[in-house]
Amino acid sequence: MNDSRQKAGDPHRCGRGFRQDLLSGYLDGELTQGDAQKVRLHLEDCAECRRLYDELRDLQGLARSTVFRMPTDDQWREMPVGGASRIARGLGWLFLMVWAVLVTGFAGWQLLVSPQNLFLKVLLFAGVAGLALVFLSALLDRLRHRRTDRYDGVQK
Amino acid sequence: MSRDQHAPETGDRGVESSDAQLVARAGHGDAEAGNLLALRYRQAAYLLALQLTRHPDDALDIAQEALLRFFRTLARFDRRRPVRPWLMQIVRNLVRDRGRRRKVRREDAPAVDVIGEPADLELDPEARTVQHELQERLWRLVGELPPPCGEILVLRDYQGLTYQEIAADLGIPLGTVMSRLHKARALLRAAWHHAPEERP
Repeated sequence: MNDSRQKAGDPHRCGRGFRQDLLSGYLDGELTQGDAQKVRLHLEDCAECRRLYDELRDLQGLARSTVFRMPTDDQWREMPVGGASRIARGLGWLFLMVWAVLVTGFAGWQLLVSPQNLFLKVLLFAGVAGLALVFLSALLDRLRHRRTDRYDGVQK
Repeated sequence: MSRDQHAPETGDRGVESSDAQLVARAGHGDAEAGNLLALRYRQAAYLLALQLTRHPDDALDIAQEALLRFFRTLARFDRRRPVRPWLMQIVRNLVRDRGRRRKVRREDAPAVDVIGEPADLELDPEARTVQHELQERLWRLVGELPPPCGEILVLRDYQGLTYQEIAADLGIPLGTVMSRLHKARALLRAAWHHAPEERP
């Protein structure tokens, strides 16, 4: 493939085959003297590159002139919860869930082997199963909410 | 949110300590030195996080977390190195981590007004309004660029890093900096023309 074909297929070259990424380097003052001189001379002759350069410079100027809203001192004081506290809370929940599963399982087993009548067993099972399903539903909603909540992680 | 983003927050009560001195004192458990360092760099950390996330709550959270991480890694920090690049690197890493964890959220996140009134007091009210709208649009478009493009634009055009610093920070060759930056600018320009409202 010859050089002109390569140039024709490159979207970052102008119609005259000039490398337009050099315009960015020129805009930023990051070119060697020789390359900067090449760009200067090219800009004098090429309207396409001159227009591109002017637009890039205007956009850069607009970005640099932006003033962002900054937090107040009160907002800075709202420090995030420390790592140790997060770990302790996570472990606490884990132990609590393990405890709940074991206690519920043991109670269920005792109910199965107990000599109570079938109606009472079904009644108790339905109540416990209902509570478990409500808890599971709330837990799933909470997990989904955590994935999509825009303010998750923001310390109030 | 009313503080000037360019106003330094030294809190030094007239006595300027160097970063190295403060880092050394903070490393030995001097809480006041740690506070002075935090005051000195928290706005810069917030500003970078804000430009990369465009969400003030996320940015504040990230800036706070970055400062905490900085102090936790103080023992490993080489005191001869400047503080700012180290802290900014932590901010960028946190932004990337958060972006990966919350991809769904980023796509759904609505535009939040994070741009203040233009600083140029010579502009008349109408021109200030127009400039404010242009800046909002520009930063919205920067946010819609692919992350590597948005990041490199922020680092160069707003944070003012040199190509050498960007190459070191992003771990890419110097030549790639210029080509990636130009690609980012070309994409931004194309997006700007895609739905033209006002030219800068």
